[in-house]
Amino acid sequence: MSQTKSLEVEYNYSVVRLFTLATIIWGIVGMGIGVLIAAQLYWPALNFDTPWLTYSRLRPLHTNAVIFAFGTNALMATAYYVAQRTCQVRLFAEKLASFTFWGWQTVIVLAAITLPMGITQSKEYAELEWPIDILITVVWVSFAVVFFGTLVKRNTSHIYVANWFYGAFIITVAALHLVNNMVIPLNLVKSYSIYAGAVDAMIQWWYGHNAVGFLLTAGFLGMMYYFVPKQAGRPVYSYRLSIVHFWALIALYIWAGPHHLHYTALPDWTQSLGMVMSVILFVPSWGGMINGIMTLSGAWHKLKTDPILRFLIVSLSFYGMSTFEGPMMAIKSVNALSHYTDWTVGHVHSGALGWVAMITIGAMYYLVPTLFNQGRMYSTKLINTHFWLHTIGVVLYIVAMWISGIMQGMMWRAVNTDGTLTYSFVESVEASMPFYLMRFIGGVFVLVGMFIMAYNVYKTLRAEQHSLKPLAEAVA
Amino acid sequence: MTMEFSTVHSILTVILFVGFVGLIIWAYGKGRKKDFDEAANLVFDDEPEAKPEQKQKQESDHE
Repeated sequence: MSQTKSLEVEYNYSVVRLFTLATIIWGIVGMGIGVLIAAQLYWPALNFDTPWLTYSRLRPLHTNAVIFAFGTNALMATAYYVAQRTCQVRLFAEKLASFTFWGWQTVIVLAAITLPMGITQSKEYAELEWPIDILITVVWVSFAVVFFGTLVKRNTSHIYVANWFYGAFIITVAALHLVNNMVIPLNLVKSYSIYAGAVDAMIQWWYGHNAVGFLLTAGFLGMMYYFVPKQAGRPVYSYRLSIVHFWALIALYIWAGPHHLHYTALPDWTQSLGMVMSVILFVPSWGGMINGIMTLSGAWHKLKTDPILRFLIVSLSFYGMSTFEGPMMAIKSVNALSHYTDWTVGHVHSGALGWVAMITIGAMYYLVPTLFNQGRMYSTKLINTHFWLHTIGVVLYIVAMWISGIMQGMMWRAVNTDGTLTYSFVESVEASMPFYLMRFIGGVFVLVGMFIMAYNVYKTLRAEQHSLKPLAEAVA
Repeated sequence: MTMEFSTVHSILTVILFVGFVGLIIWAYGKGRKKDFDEAANLVFDDEPEAKPEQKQKQESDHE
C-alpha cells in the first residue's frame, strides 16, 4: 500500500474531498425534493396550502439542486482531481480552489432560499436573480483559473482528453451564463431580460440546450474518459475517436437549441436548422458512448464482480439511449406529438438519472476510498444494492413517463368528426394519474439508493485508515 | 465591396467542413499511433504500479 501513496502526497485532495461530500449531500437533497414534487402531482394536498411548498416554486429548486448542486459539485470535484492526476501536478491557486468550493455552496444556499420565496427570472435553469448570477460568474471564472492554471503548469507533454471535455464545459457554460442572464435590474430581487419576444426565447433555449450539451454532456464525458478506463484497468478504446467526436460534439451542440421551440413564433428556417443539427448530433454522441463501452472489450467479465464498473457502463447505455431518443424527438413531426407531454420529462430523466447520476455515482464510489486512504468502499454489497435500486427506479420512472407522455399527446390531438376536441385537458391529467404514482415509486427507489450510498460513505470515512483492503487483495 | 450574409455563412461552412475532414485525416494518420497510445495511458502513468496488466499481480503480492 505504502508505495501507491508516495506520489499522491503532492496532490491537493482536500478541496476534492469537500466537493465529493457536497455532491453526495446535495444529491440527496435535490432528489428528495424531486420525490416530494412527484408526490405532489399525485397527492396535490402535499403542498399544505403553503406558497413556498407549492410545485411551481419547488420544481425550479429541484432542477437547480440536481443540476447545479449535485451535478456541478461532482464536476468540480472530478475536474480538480482528474486535472491533477493526468497532468501529474498539484492544483494551481489552491486558495482560489477553496474559494470556488465555498462560493459555489453559497450560490446553492442562496438558490434554496430565493426560489421557494418565488424570486425568479422565470428562465428555465436560469431562474436565479441577478445578484446570485454575479456571484456565479465570480466563482466560475475562479474555477476556470484554477483548472486551466493546473493544465498550464502540467508535467506531461500531452493534455489528456478528459481535460479537453472539462475545458469545453467550463468555457461554454461561462459564455451561456453571461449571455442568457443579461438583464436590467429593477431592484435587488427583480430584473427584466434585455431580450424580447422570440429572440428572448431563442437565447433562453440556446442557453438551455447547451446547459444540457456542455454541463450535462461534455463535463460528464470528461468524467467518463477518466473513470471508465481507471475502473476497467484498460486505456480508452480509441483515442483517435475521442478527438474526432470531441470536436464534432462541441461544433454541433451549439446549434440544437431551436428544437425546444418547434411550432412557435421562432422563424421556420431556424426550427428546421435546429432539427437537422439535433439529428446529426446523434453521431458524435454515439461516438462517445461506443468509445466508453468498448473500453471494456476483453474485460467484460469485470462487470460481473464490480458494481462500480456496472454503474459506469450502464450510465453509458442510458447515454446512448437518450442521445438516440433526443434527436428523434427533435424531428418536428415527432415533436408535434411529444412536446409539452411527460415524454419530455421521461427523456430528461433518462439522461439525468440514467447517464449523469449513474456516471457520477460510479465516479464517487471510485473517489471516496482513494481520497480517504482506503483500498475500497466499506461495503461492495451495498454498492450492488444501490446499483439495482437505482436501475429499477430509473426504468420505472422513464417507462411511466413514456406511456403517460404518448397517451397525453394522442389525447390532446384527438378530434371528433365535427372538428371539436375529443378530450378536455383535465381528462388527460386524470388518465396520467397512475403513471404519476409509478414515477413517484421509481423516484423513491432512486432516493433510497442515495441514502444507502451516504451510509456506505459514512462507514468508509469512519473506518481506520488503510483498514479496508482492495477486493483483489482480499481474495488472494 | 459588400458580401451577403449568406455568402459569408457558405464560406464558413465550407471552411469548417474542410477543417473537420482534415482533423479526421490528422487523427487517423499512421504516424500518430504511438503518441495516442501514450496519451491514452496517461491515466495510469502517475501510479507506481503503472501498467494496468501488472496491477492485479502487484496487488496480490501484498498479502
